[in-house]
Amino acid sequence: MTTSSFAAGAYASMQGIGASGLLKKPAGIAGAGGAAAGMPDFSSLVGKALESTAQTARAADVQAANVAAGRSDIVDVVTAVAESEAAIETLVAVRDRVIAAYEEIMRMPV
Amino acid sequence: MDLLKSIAVAASGLRSQAGRMRVIAENLANADSTPERAGAEPYRRKIVTFQGKLDRELDAQVVELGRVERDRSAFRSKHDPGHPAADATGQVRMPNVNSLIESMDMREAQRSYEANLNVISSTRRMLQRTIDILRV
Repeated sequence: MTTSSFAAGAYASMQGIGASGLLKKPAGIAGAGGAAAGMPDFSSLVGKALESTAQTARAADVQAANVAAGRSDIVDVVTAVAESEAAIETLVAVRDRVIAAYEEIMRMPV
Repeated sequence: MDLLKSIAVAASGLRSQAGRMRVIAENLANADSTPERAGAEPYRRKIVTFQGKLDRELDAQVVELGRVERDRSAFRSKHDPGHPAADATGQVRMPNVNSLIESMDMREAQRSYEANLNVISSTRRMLQRTIDILRV
């Protein structure tokens, strides 16, 4: 269910980007699976996911720098890196799925 | 997320076992620290204490190093009349550190550390396998 709304949102966003405003987002899709239903659309979803992932990555960087400077514990780096690794891998996996769903839609004979 | 929480809890275990290891190192290193003069106390063995603590941010019980206490048992004494800290009968007070006990404590700290490391690697594997579901 989530994947289908991802795909619909992705489709709508890509259409908006590709036609640079010439084509509007399909109202039905945006209404059903988009912002109106309280669900994030694809671009804000990616934006938020990227932001939180970048945040954990920054935390890991800060910890690594602290250890290099002798201010912090190696355990803190390990946990920060594990956390950012999980976030990045989740983001990458979700992205791959979304792209796959988008390609699936684009292959659909209309 | 619970899996990330358990990594953080295990990390607190790692940190406190590292602190315990530090105290054991102090004890072993000072096993022969004699007093400066007769009548003064030699090095007194340190004992670590652990405390469970509710981490409000994590909403989980983590472990912390509590106060480092002093072992109140009697000091060893050694007959060494030439020693500057020897008393009238030639006895020198030696620290109440027993290297056998310290070795066992060290082994225990090591095992505990490994257990916490295992928790971390198992948790990471669980996370990894869960994310792998998304990949076909």
